[in-house]
Amino acid sequence: MKDMGLRKRAVALLDCSLVRFVLFVAVPFLFLVFCGLHPKSYVTGLVSTVGIYIVLASSLNLINGFSGMFSMGHAAFMAIGAYISAFLTLSESVKANECPALPDWLIHTQAPFAVALVAAGAAAALVAVLVSFTIIHTKGHYLSVVTLALIVVIRALIDNNDSITRGSRGLNGIQPLSTIPAVYLVVVVTLFVLYRTIRSAYGRGLISMRDDPVAAQTLGVNLTAKKISSFAISAFFAGLGGALWAHYLTAISGANFYFEKSFDIVEISIIGGMFSLSGAVLGAIFCTVLPEFFAPLENGLHIAGFRLPTFFGLSNIIMAALLVLLIIFHRQGIMGYSEIIVESWFSKETYTALFKKSEYGKVRSALAALFRGT
Amino acid sequence: MKKRKATVFLAAVLGVAVAAAGCGSNTGTTTAAPTSAAAQETTAPAASSEPIRIGGIFNVTGDQSSIDAPAQKGFDLAVDLINKAGGINGRLIEATSYDGQTDQAVCANNAKKLIEQDKVIAIGGLSDSDYAYAAGAVAQAAGIPIVFSGATTPDIPDTVGNYAFLTAFGDNTCAYATANFLFKTQGAKTVYVLIDDSMSYTTNLASYFIEHWKELGGEVVLEDHFKSGDYDFSAQIQRYLATGETDAMFISSGPDDASSIIQQFREGGATAPMISGDGWDSDLWGVAGDLANQDIYVGTHYATSDESDVVQNFIKAYNEKYGIDPENAFAALGYDCMMVLKKAIEDCGGDVTSANIRDKIEAIQGLQCVTGTISYSAESHVPAKSVVITKAEDNHLVFVENAASN
Amino acid sequence: MNITYFLTILVSGLKLGSIYAIVAIGYSIVYGILRLINFAHGDIMTIGVYLILVFMNTMGLPLFVCVLLSVALSVGVGLLIERLAYRPLRDATEETTLISSLAVSALLQNVLQIIFSAQRKPFLLPKSISTPMQVGMFKLSVINIATYVVTAVFLVLLYALLKKTKIGAAMRACSENMRAARLMGVNVNRVVMFAFFIGSAMAVVAGLLLAGEYKTVYPSLGFVPGLKAFCAAVVGGIGSLGGAVTGAFVIGVAEILFQGLMPTTMTAYRDAFVFLLMVAVLLLRPNGLFGKNEGGRS
Repeated sequence: MKDMGLRKRAVALLDCSLVRFVLFVAVPFLFLVFCGLHPKSYVTGLVSTVGIYIVLASSLNLINGFSGMFSMGHAAFMAIGAYISAFLTLSESVKANECPALPDWLIHTQAPFAVALVAAGAAAALVAVLVSFTIIHTKGHYLSVVTLALIVVIRALIDNNDSITRGSRGLNGIQPLSTIPAVYLVVVVTLFVLYRTIRSAYGRGLISMRDDPVAAQTLGVNLTAKKISSFAISAFFAGLGGALWAHYLTAISGANFYFEKSFDIVEISIIGGMFSLSGAVLGAIFCTVLPEFFAPLENGLHIAGFRLPTFFGLSNIIMAALLVLLIIFHRQGIMGYSEIIVESWFSKETYTALFKKSEYGKVRSALAALFRGT
Repeated sequence: MKKRKATVFLAAVLGVAVAAAGCGSNTGTTTAAPTSAAAQETTAPAASSEPIRIGGIFNVTGDQSSIDAPAQKGFDLAVDLINKAGGINGRLIEATSYDGQTDQAVCANNAKKLIEQDKVIAIGGLSDSDYAYAAGAVAQAAGIPIVFSGATTPDIPDTVGNYAFLTAFGDNTCAYATANFLFKTQGAKTVYVLIDDSMSYTTNLASYFIEHWKELGGEVVLEDHFKSGDYDFSAQIQRYLATGETDAMFISSGPDDASSIIQQFREGGATAPMISGDGWDSDLWGVAGDLANQDIYVGTHYATSDESDVVQNFIKAYNEKYGIDPENAFAALGYDCMMVLKKAIEDCGGDVTSANIRDKIEAIQGLQCVTGTISYSAESHVPAKSVVITKAEDNHLVFVENAASN
Repeated sequence: MNITYFLTILVSGLKLGSIYAIVAIGYSIVYGILRLINFAHGDIMTIGVYLILVFMNTMGLPLFVCVLLSVALSVGVGLLIERLAYRPLRDATEETTLISSLAVSALLQNVLQIIFSAQRKPFLLPKSISTPMQVGMFKLSVINIATYVVTAVFLVLLYALLKKTKIGAAMRACSENMRAARLMGVNVNRVVMFAFFIGSAMAVVAGLLLAGEYKTVYPSLGFVPGLKAFCAAVVGGIGSLGGAVTGAFVIGVAEILFQGLMPTTMTAYRDAFVFLLMVAVLLLRPNGLFGKNEGGRS
């Protein structure tokens, strides 16, 4: 106990389930409730964006981090989800006027949001399965480039089928259904499913495939099935994320689901740590909140009566530089392999700790140790 | 070791996150009251000497920046000039602008930030429908008037709602006017249409043009397509030449491809007059040399050769502030966007509220602006403006005629 | 469909192919040694063009001198990037360095935007070399012809460099097996720097030809052509010089023929077609048309 550094003592505090409950469950939950009560607020807008990025980045982590296939094609699956969900929720008259080439049954269908979401995910997953033969036969960054090709093809299809997608004019007037409860319900479901997936025998198979495909194969892991299925699961949630995106912004077009969007998601995944779902959570928060601090700088900050010149583009430069530095000095991202946040969410101990006297004692002694400085 | 390091990182990040959440929730609680007109009315009269807060959203980085950055400059210039002249009804303007980063989500969130954190009572900016819809939906829901500086998609106000206005004419007006000019003034009967498929602006413009051209009784001999950034037009040129040339060529492209299209088509041997919409109103291709002076017409918002005071003063002021001529028409539109807001706020008198500004914008009649005379009505939040047909001469766009759009 | 039409667009395709070839060689040399897809390669191209423009406009130097100065500075930037962003990652996975290069690319584009603004700037070469003349049945300018010549000259020089010089042998050794090369006394850092030197210099020349064709320069000018040239290198077999060049011509010609021969409504699928072509080649010949079969890697 004597030479326990400050760092270690702080970490000891995080070992207490009760502390985890407060930090990872209670505080975020109360914050979300607050946001839910102020739906028009700017902070709520940021929080919704964070939620959608959590869904996108954590699903990307399933393939990039856990199954070892480095995809950069998430924007393509987002686009599919966004358009499918829009088609299912737009009113019949709008569709008949604007998207006359849609199949009749789709024009006449108006589905509830939940159904549209599931359909959006399913459509993205279906496309993933259809194109999966390309990722089975390629490896390394050849695979990455193949997924970039998918983005280009999807964009071309969207831009050139005017009578279905309105082409580059995009779809607008999509219902604003991505409220805080809706977004974060999807977040929780996504993380729960992904967490259970990576902690299952199936998930261990994925990780073994990532670490040593040859050994995994000799041990009976069906690589092809693993690749296709994990790609499809990931695409499913990317589709969900795309649908949430569409219903958050109410207007979509092919240009919004191009390289930049994919790179943004990859960046979040890398910064947070692509080997951890908790990393996706923190990465999404970090990459959305941090640029907000640079916004006043960009806008010409007032310091002691002087107004600094406007410096638009500064936040992009800082974020890009940060990414390079992080890759060089802390390659695993913020979270590395730790799963502390998501694990706390879905383990019973976090919640039962509230009712255990011993837990309070543990926190007290950890706190005491922290402040006593021993 | 790995795990510990990660946890420390985690702790640090949580610190940032909690701090951010803290800041956020502070601003959140202070402005928790919905921005209803009633809430503002109570504060407005008490603070008549306080600055008027106006917001701006422009995509000054990313793909949109070549048109939004000049718009931002024009917008800022207008604010400067208004404040130098003593403000509006004795109150100065405090303008806050955020970069939309050519990202819909950032635009939407910036609109929320302007409304809630910076407490603006009106917003200006944005030149593309995708971003206009995203930010407009926010402003509409909060009851804050939003005047789009450069967007030309005519259905934006209908889609967004009664708080949205355009500064520019709609694409339909521009397309109809250029078609009329070609058909009636130039006497063209056959036309070649080249369309950039990657932008909503260019696809809209082309479809309105083709529709009106056929109404007039003209013939579209060949319709060809490309995608912005395709730097080689040899296939299109050969295909066009195979038609044996048409009376005129309508090129629906943005400013970015103008230079290469003009140069390559002319060098390739295409001699018919070329016409395009306001997307070509930039100084970029003007320096393309003699080739650019051969029968190139642009249907746009204003001509820099216009002798009127309002245009010349704008160009002079822009030069004084930035040391260059306005880069393109969007600079003037950004300026006019602020001028529309100024006029409406002036008309509000002592009752400067968002709802009142909206009503007063709608009531604007015959406002002399750099880009023409702006009038709105309850039926149309797209100003009825005339389209100025200009011709390239000595690297400048010179006024030819005011073309009617019907 | 007449033969003149076909030949004319074929010549345009070859022109585009030569530009891709110069870019693709740059990709290929770096890739061959480091297994790094350098997304910032296209941005070096953009930097080179901007520098040429600056020298032309502010100092009024002859084009040739401007290009030399620009090459010198751009090579400096290329080497700096290698030293700061890639060398620390020498032992990292392919994907990690890929992301690093993406971040560098974003960084460079934003810096360019702040310095030069996002406004596209006209990039006009002297009339004497950009005005087309009638050459046989084709209309070609000096710069068009230079494009073919430059590509051919570069190819011969590079081939000689790789086969006849000591550094060339070191480069080949490194691309076979970097660790073994190091053990044999090859200064790997010097080889890598040399690869970046050649790559960056060629990127500037490619940028000059590309911008001369497009007549404009803007901060993201090099990104998409860079990506397509990369596709070309993959199609030909990345790492192999002849492969990169062949791939570049295949992509360039296929792209223009697609545009010229398909119905006009299909032409907007041009980029999709290029990428699909690359995917198809990858599936049929995972190492490209001329790539060496490197069983272990991939």
